[in-house]
Amino acid sequence: MSILAYNGGAVVAMKGQDCVAIATDKRYGIQAQTVSTNFPKVFQMGPSLFVGLPGLATDTQTVFQRLKFRMNLYELKENRMMKPKTFSAMLSNLLYERRFGPYFIEPVIAGLDPYTNEPYVCNMDLIGCPNEPEDFVVSGTCSEQLYGMCEALWEPNLKPDELFETISQALVNAADRDAISGWGAVVYIVEKDKITEKHVKTRMD
Amino acid sequence: MARRYDTRTTIFSPEGRLYQVEYAMEAISHAGTSLGILATDGILLAAERRNTNKLLDEVFFSEKIYKLNDDMVCSVAGITSDANVLTNELRLIAQRYLLQYGESIPCEQLVSWLCDVKQAYTQYGGKRPFGVSILYMGWDKHYGYQLYQSDPSGNYGGWKATCIGNNSAAAVSSLKQEYKENETTLAEAQALAIKVLSKTLDMTKLTPEKVEMATLTRKNDKTVIRILTSTEVEKLIANFEKSEAEAEAAKKQAPKS
Repeated sequence: MSILAYNGGAVVAMKGQDCVAIATDKRYGIQAQTVSTNFPKVFQMGPSLFVGLPGLATDTQTVFQRLKFRMNLYELKENRMMKPKTFSAMLSNLLYERRFGPYFIEPVIAGLDPYTNEPYVCNMDLIGCPNEPEDFVVSGTCSEQLYGMCEALWEPNLKPDELFETISQALVNAADRDAISGWGAVVYIVEKDKITEKHVKTRMD
Repeated sequence: MARRYDTRTTIFSPEGRLYQVEYAMEAISHAGTSLGILATDGILLAAERRNTNKLLDEVFFSEKIYKLNDDMVCSVAGITSDANVLTNELRLIAQRYLLQYGESIPCEQLVSWLCDVKQAYTQYGGKRPFGVSILYMGWDKHYGYQLYQSDPSGNYGGWKATCIGNNSAAAVSSLKQEYKENETTLAEAQALAIKVLSKTLDMTKLTPEKVEMATLTRKNDKTVIRILTSTEVEKLIANFEKSEAEAEAAKKQAPKS
């Protein structure tokens, strides 16, 4: 069995009009056994910067802690907030440092530039190859299903509430077609001065 | 006599002194003053800014006050380049602790760790000590608000109010007289800080460009660290000058009655 599919999980992020959204399922399982239904894989790194870390759960926690370490030092030294693009570069570097013994996570980044408020999404593979598209990014054990859902539902310049509907439907329906993702979902809508956190009701199986 | 024993940092003199360490402290006594006061509802650090040359480009916001982590701030006196190295190290120490234990480093631990580093430079390696004294203010869940001072020897102590740098002895004795333990609020401490600084500064007149002040308080279970704006500092100075003028006027009137 693939190590990236040991714990299961799914994360998706989308760009909207002057906003971004990022969503995660809440399942924590050990192969087929579901252990917890409160293990979201998305973490807030800054006032408008989120990172999703689906994959092996221990690496989810460790990479989050190490990212926080590097980000804290950056903000203290440079005395400014980190831009999402810079955060991407830093995460990519962190992962490539472990090129021959990698962290088993395939991260997703979503945020607004702290100075221009431009939306930004990015995903990368487990050794840090970044991908910065103009529309959406997906990751996790049901990434194929997520690609399908997003491609069908996404359109440019969605307003925040429309974006919420789109991303929720994409995540929920993709996770329902995956045995080891689901068991609850959290969606974050990130606008210029407002962050909305919504827990979406899903099939609990 | 001292000449033979002070070229290497790692040798004791016949009288049992470490000359290099003492010379480092001498360097600090010529540097800009920094003082700290512990109040009942918070702590403050105030510092004298020396680099007020008009030609200096304003790049960073604070010359002598550094944030170390979410719960601690420090102020330095001495050789600025040495201070930069030490504050960088302090930030790394704090982050490594956070990574290892998942919680913020307790104040005394951070001070103690850095002091061990400073001490190493007085005993091994043949390198000179750091020419910096540091004042730390911070909050932790074990002991609440705390104020610490460390010097080039690697010695540190916890204080209620203290001062380092130029004229620090005069400042400390002034604080000893005026500071009231468990009765000084942050606002009173700010006024006291301005009063003490005005005595230690070389120039007779205090201006906002010459003073930096930072406060640390707790609100809603989170630490709030604020560097005062020049307008706020100006107001404090204005209040101080007004109370000085009133005291002068009172003195002049008193002999009449």
